[in-house]
Amino acid sequence: MTGQSPTSRVQSRALETRLGPLQLRNPIATASGTFGYGLEFTDFVDLSKIGALCTKGLSLEPHAGNSPPRICETPAGMLNAIGLQNIGVQAFLRDKLPRLRELGATVVANVWGDTEEDYVAVVGALEEAGGLAAIELNISCPNVEKGGMLFGNSPTATASLVSRVRAATRRTIVVKLSPNAPDLVESARAARDSGADILSLVNTFVGMAIDPVTARPRLSFGTGGLSGPAIKPLALRMVFQVARALPGVPLMGIGGISDLSDVIEFLAAGASAVQIGTANFRDPAVSGRLVDELEAYCRDRDTTVSALVGRAQRAWNGGEAGAEG
Amino acid sequence: MRADHRAVLLRRRLFSPGFFSVKFQAPALARDVLPGQFVMLEVAGHLRPYLRRAYSVADAEPAAGEVELLVRTIGSGTAALEGLAEGSAASLLGPLGNGFSLAGLGPNARVAVVAGGIGAAPFPLLFRALRGAGISADLFLGGRNAAELDFRSRFDGIVSGETVLSTDDGSLGEKGFVTDTFARRAAQGPSYARLFACGPMPMFVALARVVERAGVPAEFSTEAAMGCGFGACLGCVIPGREKPFVISCVEGPILPPEKIAWERL
Repeated sequence: MTGQSPTSRVQSRALETRLGPLQLRNPIATASGTFGYGLEFTDFVDLSKIGALCTKGLSLEPHAGNSPPRICETPAGMLNAIGLQNIGVQAFLRDKLPRLRELGATVVANVWGDTEEDYVAVVGALEEAGGLAAIELNISCPNVEKGGMLFGNSPTATASLVSRVRAATRRTIVVKLSPNAPDLVESARAARDSGADILSLVNTFVGMAIDPVTARPRLSFGTGGLSGPAIKPLALRMVFQVARALPGVPLMGIGGISDLSDVIEFLAAGASAVQIGTANFRDPAVSGRLVDELEAYCRDRDTTVSALVGRAQRAWNGGEAGAEG
Repeated sequence: MRADHRAVLLRRRLFSPGFFSVKFQAPALARDVLPGQFVMLEVAGHLRPYLRRAYSVADAEPAAGEVELLVRTIGSGTAALEGLAEGSAASLLGPLGNGFSLAGLGPNARVAVVAGGIGAAPFPLLFRALRGAGISADLFLGGRNAAELDFRSRFDGIVSGETVLSTDDGSLGEKGFVTDTFARRAAQGPSYARLFACGPMPMFVALARVVERAGVPAEFSTEAAMGCGFGACLGCVIPGREKPFVISCVEGPILPPEKIAWERL
């Protein structure tokens, strides 16, 4: 069984990927909110094998989250309104991060708050911690009353927040964008211009399900974030669009990625790495298996991940349709 | 330990329309699973249902390498399992959750097992463990009507104590709710060292009051829609007494009623 100690097997260098200041051993990461604090998965995944894991969104204080029902299945996906339940940044530093470090995990700490000051405070609490590869700012959670998505829905608010955090940390900053923003490209541009090193996209789409008998929403919050294979074409289009509008900005693609074909598509659209989300619920071993499958794919085709990134952009430009080099 | 077991469906047994049991060949799971634990089952190749479904393990026979689930078809997940052909494979992630506790029960102890409808699912394995420990157990099994309790034949010969049936419409056994049936028996007769229960939330709400009054320590196998089953999605929380929410899949599914904030359900 995998998972109890860092892998001894050396991964192919063909899988390495660079996102600005962040070098990953491979492009398979796991998405915040779908991978707990990583330790929930150690029976199923060798955490040192995947490119990175993004933690559950951390706030300054522990947060209880929304009342149940919090989740509801929908065709090819699910709605959630967990409401950012988490143990708080101090408990993460004390109880989770040391073990993650022992296991050789590459950790991206996902951070959220109600106000700019909250974000800065959480980032500040993480500043001296060893073993963190980057900070991911969640400006796109649709399931809280304050903060969250509000920072992602306006380029002005995005710019203001990212600038504040940029001034407060030397760490690599990932900004996780909302597909619910009125103009995703403008939000992406605002994040980049304000100091984001990497953009991750997309968070969940605001959706709803109604019980046909009672006519009440199936989630206590009323609405929830839609994820899973149902959103993949939408997310892929958004990654393609942002990669096209902002060439050179490192992107992590997220949205319904479940199998190797999905990974290859997001890389082709312009993402230098991907985050596996809802698929982790259905198959907790999926991230590790995708690393193996991607390695075999690159070996069989004598190619590298770097060569796979942006192929669809080049093909669309009329250059090297389908070429991997 | 927890693992994703590739299991072959050996046999299906139909009790009445929509009520069935399935036996899977899953030797490691059959060996490891404890009474009250559950699995997350995936019927491969489906986008709907997309997520796995949680099933209590009804029984396990380590010698035969077999694991049994007792199921009522209620939605797309259970319908997919009902449609799975014998000889087909499915993935069983488990064993998950904490399981019932027999700790502190001596061989002369008497316990009550209270089941509302298909909430009886986890109890064959529990009866097996109770028998092994020499503990006498009465089964209180309630349902809406006789037809919905046809699966009671699954309990023939495995209940060491008395079996008390009840139905809402009186078509089988005593008329009324299983919680009332249990409350009457507990008031008159045996002193129960522990109560194990599984059923719908309204049953638990009533039963929590009954066991509190009767002073019977209880373990409830709680029901909550689960996204993952191993503590990652935080979808299956139940309002808690000592903290805002209890995570059903990892802190439960077996919970004492005093840990649940019933008024916030």
